[in-house]
Amino acid sequence: MSEQTESTASATHQASSDPERLRTLAMKYSTLVVLILMFAGFALFVDRFMTVFNLTNILQQISILTIVGCGLTFGFAAREIDLSVGYTVGLAGILVPLLLVGGTPLPLALCAGLAAGLVVGLCNALLVTRVGIPSLIATLATGSILFGANFLLTGGRAIYGGLPDTFLHLGQGRLLGLPMLAWFMAGTVVVSWFVMERTVFGRYVYAVGGNRKAAELSGVRIVLYRTAALTLVSVFAVIAGTLLAARLGSGQPNAGERYLLDGLATVFIGMTMFRPGTATILGTLCGALFIGVINNGLNLIGLDTYVQNIVKGVIILVAVAVVSRSTRLNLL
Amino acid sequence: MHGSPETAAPVVPPAVVAAANGADVELRAITMDFPGHRALDAVSAGFRFDEVHGLIGENGAGKSTFVNVLGGSLVPSGGEVRVAGRAVTLRSPRDAWAHGIAHVSQEGSLVPGFTGAANVLLGDEPVLFGALLRPAALLERANVLLNHWFPEVDIPLDRPVETLSVADQKVLEIVRALRGDVRLLILDEPTATLQRREKAQLWQIIRSLPGRGVGVVLISHFLSEIKALSQRITVLRDGVQVGTVAADDVSETQLVDLMLRRDAGDGERATPIRTASRAFGTTVLEATDWRTGAVRVPHFALRRGEIVGLIGLTGAGHFEFARSLYTREGDTTGRIDIDGETIGAPGIRTLQRRGVAFVPDRRMENALFADGSVTANLAMVHPEFATRGLGVVLRRGQEKREVARIVDQLGIRISGHEQSVSHLSGGNKQKVSLGKWLYGAGERYRVLILIEPTEGVDIGAKQEIYAHVRRLAARGAGVLIVSSDLLEIEQLTDRVVPFVNGRDAAPIAHDEYSEANFIAAIAGEAP
Repeated sequence: MSEQTESTASATHQASSDPERLRTLAMKYSTLVVLILMFAGFALFVDRFMTVFNLTNILQQISILTIVGCGLTFGFAAREIDLSVGYTVGLAGILVPLLLVGGTPLPLALCAGLAAGLVVGLCNALLVTRVGIPSLIATLATGSILFGANFLLTGGRAIYGGLPDTFLHLGQGRLLGLPMLAWFMAGTVVVSWFVMERTVFGRYVYAVGGNRKAAELSGVRIVLYRTAALTLVSVFAVIAGTLLAARLGSGQPNAGERYLLDGLATVFIGMTMFRPGTATILGTLCGALFIGVINNGLNLIGLDTYVQNIVKGVIILVAVAVVSRSTRLNLL
Repeated sequence: MHGSPETAAPVVPPAVVAAANGADVELRAITMDFPGHRALDAVSAGFRFDEVHGLIGENGAGKSTFVNVLGGSLVPSGGEVRVAGRAVTLRSPRDAWAHGIAHVSQEGSLVPGFTGAANVLLGDEPVLFGALLRPAALLERANVLLNHWFPEVDIPLDRPVETLSVADQKVLEIVRALRGDVRLLILDEPTATLQRREKAQLWQIIRSLPGRGVGVVLISHFLSEIKALSQRITVLRDGVQVGTVAADDVSETQLVDLMLRRDAGDGERATPIRTASRAFGTTVLEATDWRTGAVRVPHFALRRGEIVGLIGLTGAGHFEFARSLYTREGDTTGRIDIDGETIGAPGIRTLQRRGVAFVPDRRMENALFADGSVTANLAMVHPEFATRGLGVVLRRGQEKREVARIVDQLGIRISGHEQSVSHLSGGNKQKVSLGKWLYGAGERYRVLILIEPTEGVDIGAKQEIYAHVRRLAARGAGVLIVSSDLLEIEQLTDRVVPFVNGRDAAPIAHDEYSEANFIAAIAGEAP
């Protein structure tokens, strides 16, 4: 069977090299073209879109999303999905403020948030690699657990007041004219890109995701890299959650939920670009821009959030349909 | 052969009987093209409703494709199917069924959790008002059907099928296939998963069918079974029909010969055959009391500089043995020594650290990741070779040079280092699969295990791969090759260990090499 699909691939390549190349080229850059067209469209037809204020706003809005997306990219690269990511964002978003309000010093509270991410990620990874539950199902369940835990922690109420200024500065301040959040996003993207594209670790993660059997027979410690990838998803999520709380100036038990769908959307959109079918950091960054520009533009036009949800759902479907047509996208 | 005196009794190809004399169902000049390769080339066979017709050939010979055409699962690119003298088009298994042809596939098609009765009558349940199931009637009708066909067997049809024995499950699949007016039944490896004792019952059933007006097309890897059950046998090799023979006229050795013997002069003969009896070094790999699944090998040794080939029919255990040496998967037990040192906790990573490399078969499944680039695939085993900073950060320049070195050394034809491997030809893919163990490896690998090293590889690339394997051996590595290509074995190896029924047989030394000897050994004839 594999031999058959293999010869199919090589045959179509040899038979129609030029149209084939054109098709991959179109595939690689069509999303980018759509993004630019969309941007241009909003810029031309929506008055307040092309202002410094609004563009800074978009940057700020996508920062946290990009950080979540980068984490998910590690997971997807290893062919693992994390459906608990939104509630992990939420967990950090209430745990850190809760500790700060209780008088814990800032560095300690931040470390506690990171530790929580590590624990959640390791639990997810343990369920997937040791117990053998597919990540799609394991993280659906842990997500539900986190959802409940978040509400138990806060009694369902938001945590207001008494947050130190240094903490709020992380989410609301500016540095060199740009929002702090944008710097965090830039840092995350650069570091993640470097790790995925320029280190042995990244090589192994992609190999494990690309063909687990081949990686195993090549002597790659697949359990280690699957664990690491899933753990990184949660660690990035708690970083995002902490920044989210700083930006909102409060701990909201349900503030993280939307990052599940939006985060997955960024990765799926990103998978249509650069190396089609593969989650890449730069692809995810473009995916986040895509989502950010759409959300912002539709907001300015005055469409309400329900319509935005519908639009996002359609975009995810289109992206996944495009990806699965050209490659073997199977996450289960 | 090749002008050398025959060292075994000459194998006389049996007379090919005229196929399709008074055939009830006839396949004429069936050709099946898949993109990039031809699975069947003008194969013809006639089947009758009063006989068991065996179909044999090695993996990839085209047996499954052939019966899939007969069973309506594949529409052929050329040729025609005739039922009772009339040309018909079978577009689906349903079409075939309407023409009295049913196909029982190898994998099993029962629904677990359903009872035997529900499975037997799946899609034809007795219902009330077109919707309500009638459990009692279901059981009764299933029992009637079972008794009608096979009164001698007793299977509790009210039990979930997964609680039944594998043999009973097979019987239920057959009964289900026989529903309606079926005259020709295709059985694909029906006994493959059965214990010896269970086979008897199924043999009985298969034998009884022609007497009741149902012809059988039987695929099996067990030649003794094929010979015992069939009246006629059609042999396929590489998608081409070798012939149809009367079962009584041939020996098992002759069948193996028909399955494996290559016609001389297909361009590959021209290369020089490996010179024998070079001096070999010390033993580099030694396996003792090896057991994996049903395979037992008391002792196996491989010396430095030596290329050893394992041969056998599918299921003889040579693949399983070689693979388990490296992976030690499942229930494998036994001692393994590398350079005289017993390996404490053998496993993929331990063996790899001790210098054992493994190039698996089915490369797209086991060796490469299709979406990855040539670089990412080549650097899968030793990415740390091209790094700085504690072996963590990749050095792109060094990586590029090492990839270029491997690409050059193996003659891999690519358009760029970042090209994805999925678009390479079979030969180039296989070279990448081998190159993984050369990239950044230096001289560290002293044992090389290769499974089907030139599966789906063109002749030119084959010779380049052979040349490289010889180079590795000359450098002092021990090489173990498992291949179903006897010509490859003959050209490349210094010694051959045949496998028969899960056991290693007496080795064949290089000066006894001949295709006839190989075939006799594979068929289990003592030398």
